[in-house]
Amino acid sequence: MMAEAPELIAETGSEHPLHGADPWTPRETWLEQICQRLCELALVASVVMIGAEVISRALFHFSFEVTDEVGGYLLVAVSFLSLPVSQVHHGFHHVEFVQARLSPRGRAWSRLIFDLTCLFSIAILVWQLVRLEIGTWQSEDVAPTILATPLWIPRLTMALGSSVLMLTLLRTVLGDGRRLAALRQGGGTRPVARAP
Amino acid sequence: MSPEIQIIFVFAVFLVLLAAGMAVPFAIFVPALLYLLLQGGLVALKGLGLVSWGSMDSFTLTAIPLFILMAEILQASGLSSRIYRGLAKLVAAVPGGLLQTNIAGCAVFAAISGSSVATAASIGGVALPQLVERNYNRPLAAGSLAAGGTLGILFPPSLAMIIYGAFTETSVAKLFMAGVVPGLMLTAMFMTYIAVHATVKPEVAPRERAAGSFTEVVLAIGEVLPFLFLISGTLGLIYLGLVTPTEAAAVGCLCAIVISRIWGDLTWRVFMDAMGRTVRLLGNLLFIVYAAYVFSYAISFAGIGEEVTSFLVGLKLNRVEFFLALFILYTVLGCLVESVGMIVITVPLLFPVLAGYGIDPVWFGVLLVLFIELGQISPPIGINLFVIQSIWNGKLSEVVLGTIPFHLIMLVLLMMLMMWPQLCLWLPAHMS
Repeated sequence: MMAEAPELIAETGSEHPLHGADPWTPRETWLEQICQRLCELALVASVVMIGAEVISRALFHFSFEVTDEVGGYLLVAVSFLSLPVSQVHHGFHHVEFVQARLSPRGRAWSRLIFDLTCLFSIAILVWQLVRLEIGTWQSEDVAPTILATPLWIPRLTMALGSSVLMLTLLRTVLGDGRRLAALRQGGGTRPVARAP
Repeated sequence: MSPEIQIIFVFAVFLVLLAAGMAVPFAIFVPALLYLLLQGGLVALKGLGLVSWGSMDSFTLTAIPLFILMAEILQASGLSSRIYRGLAKLVAAVPGGLLQTNIAGCAVFAAISGSSVATAASIGGVALPQLVERNYNRPLAAGSLAAGGTLGILFPPSLAMIIYGAFTETSVAKLFMAGVVPGLMLTAMFMTYIAVHATVKPEVAPRERAAGSFTEVVLAIGEVLPFLFLISGTLGLIYLGLVTPTEAAAVGCLCAIVISRIWGDLTWRVFMDAMGRTVRLLGNLLFIVYAAYVFSYAISFAGIGEEVTSFLVGLKLNRVEFFLALFILYTVLGCLVESVGMIVITVPLLFPVLAGYGIDPVWFGVLLVLFIELGQISPPIGINLFVIQSIWNGKLSEVVLGTIPFHLIMLVLLMMLMMWPQLCLWLPAHMS
């Protein structure tokens, strides 16, 4: 309890962890696991690359001159690839003083409506990010830097991360539907079927 | 729908979604998309891809994951208990005993974590069982930890300051330095209050035995020394102009790994756990930042920013009245919106007004952080209140009661900073 409580609160941002895991919320799949590993890799790469830059500049007065550029790309990757990881682990903060006052049915309906809205908004984002990616590929855009990085490579992480988030949200919505079905059948404490 | 009605409608949607329980990043992102659609239909969405790229491809913001990783490594390696143990021996003889250790511990941990929640949770988790066992006054114990935790975003490295700096293109290094003197002042004011309170009412805090012998003092200093080395190393490099805040974060991570390996329980498994937690925290935090950039884009697309600025300037408020209006705005917002949300929603609208009032952006950044700190211990959503309440399973009302005096102290500091900007600006002016 002592070790778990702060983490729980830090993740839900509330006294009542109403948006936490229950039998209908989706489990982590290989897609989110891959995103997590890629984020971890990007973090380690950032630390090593920027650390090496500082050391080399201090000791040898030599700069790689690519650290700012690659550091920015790695941040983009972490920003978008961590989205499905946070979604599946209930890492997004919620304000729950209204939720805490709703009945279980009211909460289940609000979850469904919110998750559908989130899914719709992310679908729009995916549409635009895929458009950008295709446009970048076709126009063969490169960064105006020493590396002349083809920009479709770092921009791919935005489209990938948001697409996986869309899939995770889709599974969340399906779970919301099953939760409502279970409540309608009277129980609400046992799952009808587990979300995929 | 007129532009004024549109912006009011969009803000109303944001507040309703937030209060109703939608995930905070989505509660910002959805109204931003709605605002874009209201402005120009589907055509307005065409810039979304480039805005996404332009906002997050930022070396300045790269400091956020690195500072979070540094704090997670230190926390996961059990080093927060080491800080507390060492400080307990050094400051426990001061009236207030372990309550003083709470504040000092929070101040030290704040200087390596950058987050209020991490600070309150780390020190609270170690301190509360001991405070309860030794019969310290419960509201005061809880209040000191909830309020002490807020130091996490005032002392550098502050995640709130990094985000503010990235949004307003203000030097993060200067913002960091501007937080040092107010942070030290707030720590001293908290500790003075506890000492006076414990002297007037000795029953609130039993007298503790401090380190008696020279050897005990040396051992206690040895417990804290690695952190002082880490803090002075990273901040010193920034102050001397040798590294940027992002580079200091990377160096801090490397040092944290070494320190945790030598003095803590850092194993491969602990390291991977810290990485996992960092990624989950980042998903939330960076999405809020990203959603706010989209919101900011929607505001600039609508051109409403200029109208808000001219409206505020047209009110012809003097500087004191302007600060009073800000105080009311942030007090209300602090009860509804969480910390990063407060920055990212208000700053794009307010920042252009600052120049008209001759307000230094660095000074404003520190004031904003103090407003956020107040929000973090204000019911009903002050997150630090819930962190502390969850650790000790006590009543929320006791935690709220305990934070009231600290709230008042923070207000006093806020007034002082408003009257004497040099308290913030003196140190940044002396940076290399």
